Amino acid sequence: MELIVHEKRPALEAWLAERFGADHVRIDDVDRLGGGAVSENLALVLQVDGGPMQGWHEAVLRAAAAMGVDASLSKTDEFAVLRAACQAGVAAPEPLAVCLDAGLIGRPFYLMRRAEGVASGHVLVKADEPLRALARQLGRELGKLHRVRPGAAGLECLPPLTTDPARKAIATFRGWAGAEAGRDPVLAYGLRWLERNIPARQEVALCHGDFRTGNYLVQDGRLTAILDWEFAGWSDPMEDLAWFCARSWRFGRMDREAGGIADRADLYAGYEESAGRAVDPVRVAYWETAAYVRWAIMSVQQGRRHTSGVEPSLQLALTGRMRPEIEHDLLLHLDALEGMGV
Amino acid sequence: MTDLPDARGLVDIALQTFRAEILPVLPSNRRVDAMMIARALSIAEREMQGPPDVVGPLRQLLGEEGDEDTLSRRLCAAIAEGRFDGSPALRSTLWAITRARLAVSNPRYA
Repeated sequence: MELIVHEKRPALEAWLAERFGADHVRIDDVDRLGGGAVSENLALVLQVDGGPMQGWHEAVLRAAAAMGVDASLSKTDEFAVLRAACQAGVAAPEPLAVCLDAGLIGRPFYLMRRAEGVASGHVLVKADEPLRALARQLGRELGKLHRVRPGAAGLECLPPLTTDPARKAIATFRGWAGAEAGRDPVLAYGLRWLERNIPARQEVALCHGDFRTGNYLVQDGRLTAILDWEFAGWSDPMEDLAWFCARSWRFGRMDREAGGIADRADLYAGYEESAGRAVDPVRVAYWETAAYVRWAIMSVQQGRRHTSGVEPSLQLALTGRMRPEIEHDLLLHLDALEGMGV
Repeated sequence: MTDLPDARGLVDIALQTFRAEILPVLPSNRRVDAMMIARALSIAEREMQGPPDVVGPLRQLLGEEGDEDTLSRRLCAAIAEGRFDGSPALRSTLWAITRARLAVSNPRYA
């Protein structure tokens, strides 16, 4: 489905002009951007006449996917998170405008400034030498994000935690898995392990929820922006670190445990520079188990979006077939934990 | 008509031809889609050789007869009730199931 059809363009331009306090806004170019299984992204070139935004701007319009995903934020809430992240000094795309009115282009959407760089995990992990400075920088950015705590202004829209993050996560996973948790013994075992090993001490911070290689942009070896904020929410900050380091996001570079780009030590060192807390490796290990369980269930969901016939897609179908790989990583991780005596 | 190429043979030769003749001449911006097509065909071809043997390990662990679905459900219920907490036998069964499934979906994964 085309998001910006010819007839919708004048209405969108008028809306943008009003938002930007401009006399006139012209959308000069529209390009589809890849990389969204959950959202749809369009690159726009805007020419703004008059007002504080006068001039040319490269922007990204981000709209909800045709079929919503259980866990993802509404585009309005995602916009609020992006604003909070930018205010906390995190390298994220600058949010520009949000539109709740599904009438304008057919779905709610928001606009952000386009950041430059490469996101592809396959490209990033090909570096001959580990990208230690990049991993450190990513750690620092995550640390800044995790300084945002419940009660922060502008984030009232995010659902508050009614229990600790681990129990909340397990309940969420069970909800998503539905009958599958009663059919797949590996999944049942992963969930049981999570219930039996809930960490005694947990913290709560604003978490990205999908912080991993593939979801940030790099230009000339430096981070330009962290993307894909639709799974953000309140959780234990160790969850974001664990997700980043899970084998699932190393793109084949298994020896570089921090996202296939460097060592955990590089990521952790950057994190501790800005987070105001130490990394707790035992809790990270707990959340790494949670990462595999979560991703295994998400792969089932993505496969279902294809098999249901709502969204026929080769990519979604293949993601549904990745479950044995994810469960392999889960078992490998649990074996390693036992070796560590955890 | 026993010499009629069967489904598996067709998928296999289609995949070989696709890899040898089509993939190398595609522009780089079509490569991701092409690799996905090759992956889908190779999974289908392996699945046509027969489903993964999941029921064997399940029977061995539970000491019961039944089809894959029945035994999987029984094992899931037992795990949820804690009847296999700390069981090394369970862990090796889960590995056997997972390796069998990987043999179809991605045999080179490690």
